[in-house]
Amino acid sequence: MTDELKFVGNPDNKAVDALEKVMGKARYVGDLVFPGMLHAKLLTSPIPHGRIVKLNTAPALEVPGVKAVLTSEDFVDHGAWGWPVRDIYVLAYQKVRYVGDPIAVVAAETPEDAEAGVEAIELELETLPVVSDMTRALEKETPLIPLTPPLGKGNLADHLIVRNGDPHPLLKKADVKLKRSYHLLHQEHAYLETEGVVAIPQPDGGVTVFANNQSPFINRDTAAEVLGLSTELVRIIQPPVGGSFGGKDDHVYQFTAQAGKLAILTGKPVSLILDRKQSFHTSYKRQGSVVTLEVGADKDGNLLAGHGDMVMDSGAYVSMTTLAGFRASMHLLGTYRYQAATVDTDVVYTNNGYSGAFRGFGNTQAAAASEMFIDELAAEFEKDPIDFRLQNCIVKGNKAFTGNTIAHDAGLIRSLEWVREHSGWEKKRRSFAGQTKGNLRQGIGVACYFHGSGLGGEGTDYARATITIERDHTITLQSGLTDYGQGSRTVFTLIAAEVLGVDPKQIYMLRPDTQTALESGPTVASRASIVGGNATRIATEKLENVLRLAASDKMDCSAEQIHRQGDKFIGPNEEPMSFNDVVDHAFEIGLQLYAQGYWQIPEIHWDFETGTGIPYFTYSYGAQVAQVEVDINSGSVRVEHIWAAHDGGKIIFPKGAHGQLLGGIAQGIGFGLMEGFEFIDGYPQSKDFKTYHIPNALEVPEIETHFIESRLEEGPFGAKNLAEPVMIATAPAIANAVFHATGVRACQLPIRAAWLKEQIAANA
Amino acid sequence: MKVSFVVNGEDVSVDVPKKTTLLTILRKYLGLMGTKIGCENGDCGACSVLVDGELKKSCVTLARQVDGCSVTTIEGIHDGSGGPNDMQTAFMEYGATQCGYCTPGMILAAEALLLKNPHPTRQEIRVAIKDNLCRCTGYQQIVDAIEAAAADRAAKGGHHD
Repeated sequence: MTDELKFVGNPDNKAVDALEKVMGKARYVGDLVFPGMLHAKLLTSPIPHGRIVKLNTAPALEVPGVKAVLTSEDFVDHGAWGWPVRDIYVLAYQKVRYVGDPIAVVAAETPEDAEAGVEAIELELETLPVVSDMTRALEKETPLIPLTPPLGKGNLADHLIVRNGDPHPLLKKADVKLKRSYHLLHQEHAYLETEGVVAIPQPDGGVTVFANNQSPFINRDTAAEVLGLSTELVRIIQPPVGGSFGGKDDHVYQFTAQAGKLAILTGKPVSLILDRKQSFHTSYKRQGSVVTLEVGADKDGNLLAGHGDMVMDSGAYVSMTTLAGFRASMHLLGTYRYQAATVDTDVVYTNNGYSGAFRGFGNTQAAAASEMFIDELAAEFEKDPIDFRLQNCIVKGNKAFTGNTIAHDAGLIRSLEWVREHSGWEKKRRSFAGQTKGNLRQGIGVACYFHGSGLGGEGTDYARATITIERDHTITLQSGLTDYGQGSRTVFTLIAAEVLGVDPKQIYMLRPDTQTALESGPTVASRASIVGGNATRIATEKLENVLRLAASDKMDCSAEQIHRQGDKFIGPNEEPMSFNDVVDHAFEIGLQLYAQGYWQIPEIHWDFETGTGIPYFTYSYGAQVAQVEVDINSGSVRVEHIWAAHDGGKIIFPKGAHGQLLGGIAQGIGFGLMEGFEFIDGYPQSKDFKTYHIPNALEVPEIETHFIESRLEEGPFGAKNLAEPVMIATAPAIANAVFHATGVRACQLPIRAAWLKEQIAANA
Repeated sequence: MKVSFVVNGEDVSVDVPKKTTLLTILRKYLGLMGTKIGCENGDCGACSVLVDGELKKSCVTLARQVDGCSVTTIEGIHDGSGGPNDMQTAFMEYGATQCGYCTPGMILAAEALLLKNPHPTRQEIRVAIKDNLCRCTGYQQIVDAIEAAAADRAAKGGHHD
């Protein structure tokens, strides 16, 4: 590695897939048309909870154009699957557990015929009592939602703990104590492209599926299992994906298995694309959660001890909620020093849709609660919110509340200082206080965060990459990790270009295809840059060593004597050799210009039984300040400006990183102010973008951003992670700004205008 | 019903059922897949196209409404040699694409704006694209790109290629 980087970190780099996207030439799964292609439509549950009494698909087969109908009976073991909890079916088995739960699927010559087929299915459901309240879900007399309780404890799906000393004696003697509860509503991913797959039957009895998923290898393995095929017979190809944010895995695996089976049965390609309403109802969400925090501090405002209780709504199935519960638990008391801290998190089944992975993965909820809480605690001491955070925040060498030592440089203080300086914090804190004229009130608020890098205690954290140079000098790079818009193909291309010394334009970065890419685990947890980036670096370094060998052979020197300048190989005596000449010579002497790279995050261990250990090997950090204007007559909140600083280590693809930060903030504004996917008695209250409003261009303000590039030695060129954590400070910063403007402390996100108006009136 | 109109400079004529939308005509009958399906409800703008220079959501525009009109889709936006035009280049240079699904509609919204207002302020740009939802970018780099392309185009006297 050299200090003079040419491509890594260069602000001029463009996304490798930008051209096809601006020209309208990117082909998403819904744009694929194959000869004779059938169209599949789903029958989904209209009720939140019920027993399937009758499911007769025979009438559907009588409908003209209908070619096949599937139910759970068409899959191995009724189509049971799921990890870490095996509680879900490709199509509902025995019971339906949420509105939108897929029951049957029909393939027909046209979408209209398929719809008619769905209509013709005879379905009888015996309604079961709906479990919509998380507290009631755990009561003994409440009906069971899963077929088998995973812990033998009714609707309790998991219980996660942190045990770092005993906070209770310290809480007792604390000079100041605060206890608060927060209710965070569900959030819908609302990617612009809905979920979809196109399955094509293969002559060998297998199936090739184009799927807009995040983790194609898990999709392949799941489909193979329920279809009773070897993994070699299931091939998943990932086309461009129109947004995901954590949201295109589990149910897309179900669609893959469904369309795959239909394709095999009919011998024809099958397209299964969800419409928006179905996407809203059938897809998993961010977990609605209730968080209660209790923290004690000494008279000088030093935090002493804390305890957090969290209940996460998993909904009908576990999906990733137990893992999100782990991440939430590991961040619940925030990025502060405590002498003792404990956390208890319950993950519970309800009939409120179902929940899974969504950007931030539990820390969005955890940080929202802890940052609203810490702001209120600062106010108890009449301290400036930033000063109070600086007084208590962790730095390298401190212990996180989970008991592990912060091993690397922590950019938190620098993040807080940057947002303070650039937002005009002190002046605005003073000038916005005590406004009395008119109906508009301005406020400014802060929030900060830490976010564990990679999967952490969730499992082994690795990725693989391959790089090949062809005889015509074409360089192809491939990773098992996917790019669904976050820019990882560009990041990997830049890393390979830097190592090889060639222009990024010379490298073609393939999309994942389970038949050509190497299995690399899931593309989640903001881990692509660090894990996939390192795998790419290692593969490319190996290849570069082979090229050095070829150059040394040609120049009659040792490989160590060769140094690189741009794409040139320079030996001790002769003229430099160009990259292409070295490639040609490598082929002439029979060298293989192919290399694989594997990298794994340094192993750590978290003991789930004792609630102790090291949850993550490192963290990224950041802080945001939001400035808002509240109309006290209507309760509506307008975000006027946001300042955001993030420590993600070395930034490899600046335009992309900047875009991740800005886009994360927009999702944070949605989470804080306008989204909130609500269920009433298990029935979803939104079905489209009118009833579920995501931020538009007028609702996202101008944002000033800054990257604090603390170097992580283990990261590729010093990079860490950024996609998820950049959204999690936004909502609490807004809530804290709303308090500054109005004196109202939010206890629920999103902050609804009607609620805020009432609170303002009550305070007046 | 038979509908005749111009798409990206070429005369087309299609025979479609009465309630067929422009979106369906473009994608299913003409194979122009650059116009995206987002909501089919007029809420998201992913299917935006120009109809006689006006920005329209093709999912809620019926076949009869475009009879005799001139329609421009993303396939009709390019420079003289088929490469990216100045707006598309600006989108690449300012990092305005992530997943890319809103991009075609967003570029057409930008083109529609500049047809009416060659010197838009950032706020005017935001108003012009407010019905085109983007879940990835937070809009800022899109606004940057449109602002830069507008300035560049204005400096060249309104010509672009």
